[in-house]
Amino acid sequence: MANRRQFLVQSVGGFAGFLAIDSIFARAARAAVQAPASGAVRTLVVVNFQGGNDGLNTLVPYGDPTYYSVRPTINIPQDQVVKLDSMLGLHPQLGALKPLYDQQRIAIMQGVHYPNPNLSHFRSTEIWQTAAPEKYVDTGWAGRYLDAQGKGQQPNLFAGVAVGPVLPKLMVAERTDVPTISDPRAFKFNGTRGEQAAADNILGGDGYKYPFQSPYLQLVQDVESHAHAAANELPHLVSGYKAAVEYPKTPFAQGLNLIAGVVNANVGTKVFYISLGSFDTHVGQRNQQDRLLDQFSAGIAAFYQDLAAHNVDSNVLTMTFSEFGRRVQENANRGTDHGTAAPMFLIGGNAKGGIYGDHPSLTDLDYGNLKWHTDFRSVYATVLERWLGIGSVPILGSQFETLTVV
Amino acid sequence: MSSPVDQLTGTGAEFRPAGALTDLNQALAAYNGPWNLKLAAHLLRRAGFGGSPADVGSVAAAGMSTSVERLIHFGPDSLPTQPDGDISYDFSPTADPKQRQRAFLATQMWFANRCLQTPDPLRERMVYFWSNHFTSGLGQDGITPQQTVNQYNLFNRYALGNYGELTHEISKDGAMLLYLNNAQNRRQHPNENYARELMELFTMGVGNYAEEDVRESARAFTGWTVIRKQGDAVTFLPQLHDDGSKTFLGHTGNFMGDDIVDIIMQQPATARFMVHKFARAFIYDNPEPELVDALAERYRASNYDTAKLMGVILRSNIFYSDRAYRALMKSPLELVIGAHKTLGATQIEPAALAAVARMGQVVMQPPNVAGWPGGALWLNTGTLFARVNYLNQLALSKGGPAAAAPAGGDMMMAMVNNPAAAMRMGANIGDPTQWMAGVSATDPTAVTDRVLWMSVQADATPQQRQTILSYLSTDASGAMAPLSMENLDEKVRGAMSLAFALPTYQLA
Repeated sequence: MANRRQFLVQSVGGFAGFLAIDSIFARAARAAVQAPASGAVRTLVVVNFQGGNDGLNTLVPYGDPTYYSVRPTINIPQDQVVKLDSMLGLHPQLGALKPLYDQQRIAIMQGVHYPNPNLSHFRSTEIWQTAAPEKYVDTGWAGRYLDAQGKGQQPNLFAGVAVGPVLPKLMVAERTDVPTISDPRAFKFNGTRGEQAAADNILGGDGYKYPFQSPYLQLVQDVESHAHAAANELPHLVSGYKAAVEYPKTPFAQGLNLIAGVVNANVGTKVFYISLGSFDTHVGQRNQQDRLLDQFSAGIAAFYQDLAAHNVDSNVLTMTFSEFGRRVQENANRGTDHGTAAPMFLIGGNAKGGIYGDHPSLTDLDYGNLKWHTDFRSVYATVLERWLGIGSVPILGSQFETLTVV
Repeated sequence: MSSPVDQLTGTGAEFRPAGALTDLNQALAAYNGPWNLKLAAHLLRRAGFGGSPADVGSVAAAGMSTSVERLIHFGPDSLPTQPDGDISYDFSPTADPKQRQRAFLATQMWFANRCLQTPDPLRERMVYFWSNHFTSGLGQDGITPQQTVNQYNLFNRYALGNYGELTHEISKDGAMLLYLNNAQNRRQHPNENYARELMELFTMGVGNYAEEDVRESARAFTGWTVIRKQGDAVTFLPQLHDDGSKTFLGHTGNFMGDDIVDIIMQQPATARFMVHKFARAFIYDNPEPELVDALAERYRASNYDTAKLMGVILRSNIFYSDRAYRALMKSPLELVIGAHKTLGATQIEPAALAAVARMGQVVMQPPNVAGWPGGALWLNTGTLFARVNYLNQLALSKGGPAAAAPAGGDMMMAMVNNPAAAMRMGANIGDPTQWMAGVSATDPTAVTDRVLWMSVQADATPQQRQTILSYLSTDASGAMAPLSMENLDEKVRGAMSLAFALPTYQLA
C-alpha cells in the first residue's frame, strides 16, 4: 500500500519518464466509525505538561536537606508535602491524587529523560513526541502505533483523538487521520445552515476523476471526508454518555470529560492526547506551577471517578510527560530554568502503584541538571508492549527495556 | 476589449494544461504550447503567493515568456524593510509580556504584508523559500525580532542571487549564529551544531561527509559570535578562533569558515542537494533523480546563479505539465495570502496570522532546523477545519475600506490592548459586487462560474459546481429561492467560502 512515507523516499530508481502517480497518497479505504466493541478496549491517555514541568516540586524529595538549600524560596515546606514515604512526597496541589495512589493505581517513574538532553522547548518536545532524539522524523510515536495497530483493517475514524486546537506531532501518522478536537461545538464546518448543507457534498467528496494527476488531490479529499464524517459522528458518539461527576470548569478537565465520553462510546479509540501548560516557570514558579498541578490533579481525580462509575477505569491508562524537568538550583526570579530529568506518572489501567527508580542525586549533577537513568523510550516500550499489546521495535526503532510498572 | 476580470467566465472546459513528458531535454526546454488563464494562475501560485483575478488576467494576456521575464527581473524593493512600530525585545523573564507580543506580531505582520503587497511576487516567494532553508526561529535561542528582520532582509538581497555568496553571508548572520550555537563555538569548547547542519541541511546532505569533517569544520567556524551588549553586533573574535590546521573533505589548511564554505561549493553533491530542494518547492515534491541531475549540472555550471536556475524552471515544459499542475500542497501562509489576493484584500490582519498558526504554521518559527516538512503533513482533520473555517470567516468578513483596521503601530496597540477584538477585525477584502463585475449577478450559473474561476480556475468537479449552483438557488431549508439584490451579498460570500473548501483550492 502506498503511503506518505513511501512517496517521500521514492525518488530512487531508473528514469522511466514522468510517471502517472495519481492518488498515491489515497487512504486504502475510507475510515468509518467502528461498531461499539462488546468487551473492554484498552486505551491510553497521554497528558503533555507543556513548557517543562519542574519534577523536584512535583515529586518532592523532602527528606533530602539539599532540596531545601537549592530551593530556598520556592521549596515545598515539609509540613505541606503529601508524603508518600520517608523521603518523597507529592506537591500539595496533587493531593487529589492521594486516594488513587493509596489504591495502588499510580506508578511514578523517577529520573526519566534521554541521552544528550536538548534544552530547547521546541526540539525537546519534538524528541519526546517522535521518540527520536538523534534524528528528525516526520511522524509521532503514537501515530506510528496507530498505523501499526490498524494495518489490514477497515480504518477506524476514531482510532486516535487529540484534544486541542492543533494535531500534536505525537499523533502524526502516515495512514491514520486523527480527529483534532478543541471544542466539540467548533469541530465542524462553521458556515451558515445553507452553507453546511452544501459543504456536506463538497467535503464528503464525489469520486470524480480530475483531468490532471495531482498526487495530493485524493489525500485532500480523504482528509476532508474523514474530518467531515468525524464531525458529524461525534455528537452521536457522546450523546448516550452522562458524566457521573461534575468536572471542574478548566479546559483541561473539560477535555478529559470529552475523552470520557468517547471512551464510553467504546468505538476502538486507542490513544487520546491532551495537554496542560505552560509549565515554563522561569519567574514566580510557585504560583504558576501550583495552579497547573491543581488543574491536573482535580481533572484526573474527576476523570477516574467518572470512569469508575461507568466501570471503565481499568480500561484507561493515563501517562504524563514533559519536554524536560528544570534546573536544580532555583534562579533569582523565584523560578527555575530549563533542565533535564523528571518523573513520569502512569495512572489507572493496569498501573502497578508505587515509586520506581532512584531519585536522581541533587549533588551529582550534569551542568546543574539532574542525571537521568531511565530512557523515556523504555516507558513508551512498556506501555506499547504491556498495555497496548503490540511489538514496540517497529514503532520505536529499537528494543528498549520494558519496566514492570504495568 | 474585455477586461481581464471579464475573461474569468465560462466553464473553462476548453483549457488544459500541457500533457505528460517522457524526454528529459524536452522536459527542460521552454514551453511554447497554448497559454491560458489556468497556466497563468499556476505560474503565480508557484512564483509568488497566488494572483488576484486581475493579476492572473494580465499574466495570461502577457504570455509565458514575458511574464517569467518580469517575475525574475524585478526592480528595486519598494516596500518597507523594517516592521512598523517598536520591535524592541527584552529576554529578561521580568520584561513586559505585552511588548514581547507586540514585537513578535509586528515582525510577523511585516513579512506577511510584504508577501501580500509586493509588486514583485517572486522576490518574496524566494525570501520565504530561503527562510525555510537557512532556518532560524523568531524569539528562539535568544533571537530578537530585529535579528530576524535582518536575516529576512539578507534573504531579500539574495532572493535570486548567488547561493554560494548567500551561504557565506548566512554563516555570519546574527540570528543564525544564535540559532545553531556558533555564537558559543570557541577554540576551548567547540560547538559543532552549525558545522553539522550547514552540511546536512543547508548544502550537501547526509552521506557526503564524515563525522571528522564536522569536527574539523566546526573548529574553522570558531570565533564568529554575537555580542548582545554591543547591540547584537556580529563580530569575529580572534582570541576565540582556533587557528590550527584543519583537514576538511580532503583539503588541509589553516581554514576559516569562509574556506569551508568555498570547499563545500566545489562539491557536486551541493548542487544536487539544492536543486532537489528547488524542484520540491517549485515543480513537484518527488522529482526524478535525472531531472535533479540535469538541473544541478546547470546550477553548478552557472556558479549557483539562482536567477538562471529559476528561469529554466519557470519556463520549462515540465513546470507546465499536468505532472506539476496542482501537484503541491499549499502551506498555510500560501493559502491565506492567496485567499486575500483572490478576494482583492490589500492588508493582512492579525486574525490571519492566528489562523495560519491554527493551520500548523507559526510565521517565522519553523518547527526545527529542518524547516517545515510540508506536503501531506500540512493536512489533518484539525488543520482542515482551521483552513475552511478561516476562509469562510474571511469571505464573510465585511471590513471594507472604511472599516479597515488602523494601520501599523496603532493596530499593534489595538491588538495588544484588546486581542479578542483585534482577532475579530474584519479583513479589508473587496465586496461581492466587485467580484461579480461584468456578470449578471442574479444569474446563479454566471455567479457560480465566476466564483469557481476566481478561486480554482474552474478546477471543480461537476458535482461540486452543481452543489454551489444549488446553494445559490435555494434557501437554508432547501426551497428554491432566486438570487436577488437583497440576498446577493450573503450568497456570493457563502459560495466563495464553499469554493475555498474545494480540494483543488488547497493545492498549489
